[in-house]
Amino acid sequence: MSSLIDWILVVIGQVLVAIGIFCDLAAAILMLRLPNFFTRLHALTVGSVGGAFVPLIGAALIAAGCDFLGPYRWFMTGGAIVTAIIEYVLAGAGTHAIARAVYRARAAPLKPLVVDRIAEDRGGEEGASG
Amino acid sequence: MNLESWVTTFIVYAMPFYLAAFAIYMVRLVKGPTVPDMVIAVDALSYDLAAFLVLLGILFRAPIMIPCAIVLVLWVYALDIYVAKYFEAGEIGE
Repeated sequence: MSSLIDWILVVIGQVLVAIGIFCDLAAAILMLRLPNFFTRLHALTVGSVGGAFVPLIGAALIAAGCDFLGPYRWFMTGGAIVTAIIEYVLAGAGTHAIARAVYRARAAPLKPLVVDRIAEDRGGEEGASG
Repeated sequence: MNLESWVTTFIVYAMPFYLAAFAIYMVRLVKGPTVPDMVIAVDALSYDLAAFLVLLGILFRAPIMIPCAIVLVLWVYALDIYVAKYFEAGEIGE
């Protein structure tokens, strides 16, 4: 019975890790192909939530099902969950901070640009930030 | 097939995909036309490396990998904040 629960935990964890691998490869290709910094932020979000948070939860479930890890089994489960939560909170905060700073400092080109609501609210022309 | 060899085989087959993603991130890190592009490439690389370290910890039966992953995530957040502060204020500190 305990072996069956272990197998269920491991298989669910492996499905999550497989989703994470897909998101990771997609984020890497997007990071290479998207045209400017502000669109590459989307690739960073895919890579940090889909490519790191989801496989960390999956690794926690795999570790919870692996009795061959011995006494460190629950340490690895808890550590993976703590890493996942820290990563989930800090990735969003850091991305917002760097996006705001880069927009205000005009450190990256805005083209190609579809809409710029901040410049419109300030009455400036489209594409001129600050 | 017992559970141990099943988990080991799965992680071994997952490794090349992670390494391929890391290689593509490295291309953007080297090419990056501006500094923020390089910084977000390092971000994505490190977050995925943290997940990969936890998987390696299961593969090698090495729980010491877990604190490495936590510290890596925290330092990358510090890098984000430092770079954002530098772009907004032109200096570090204060």
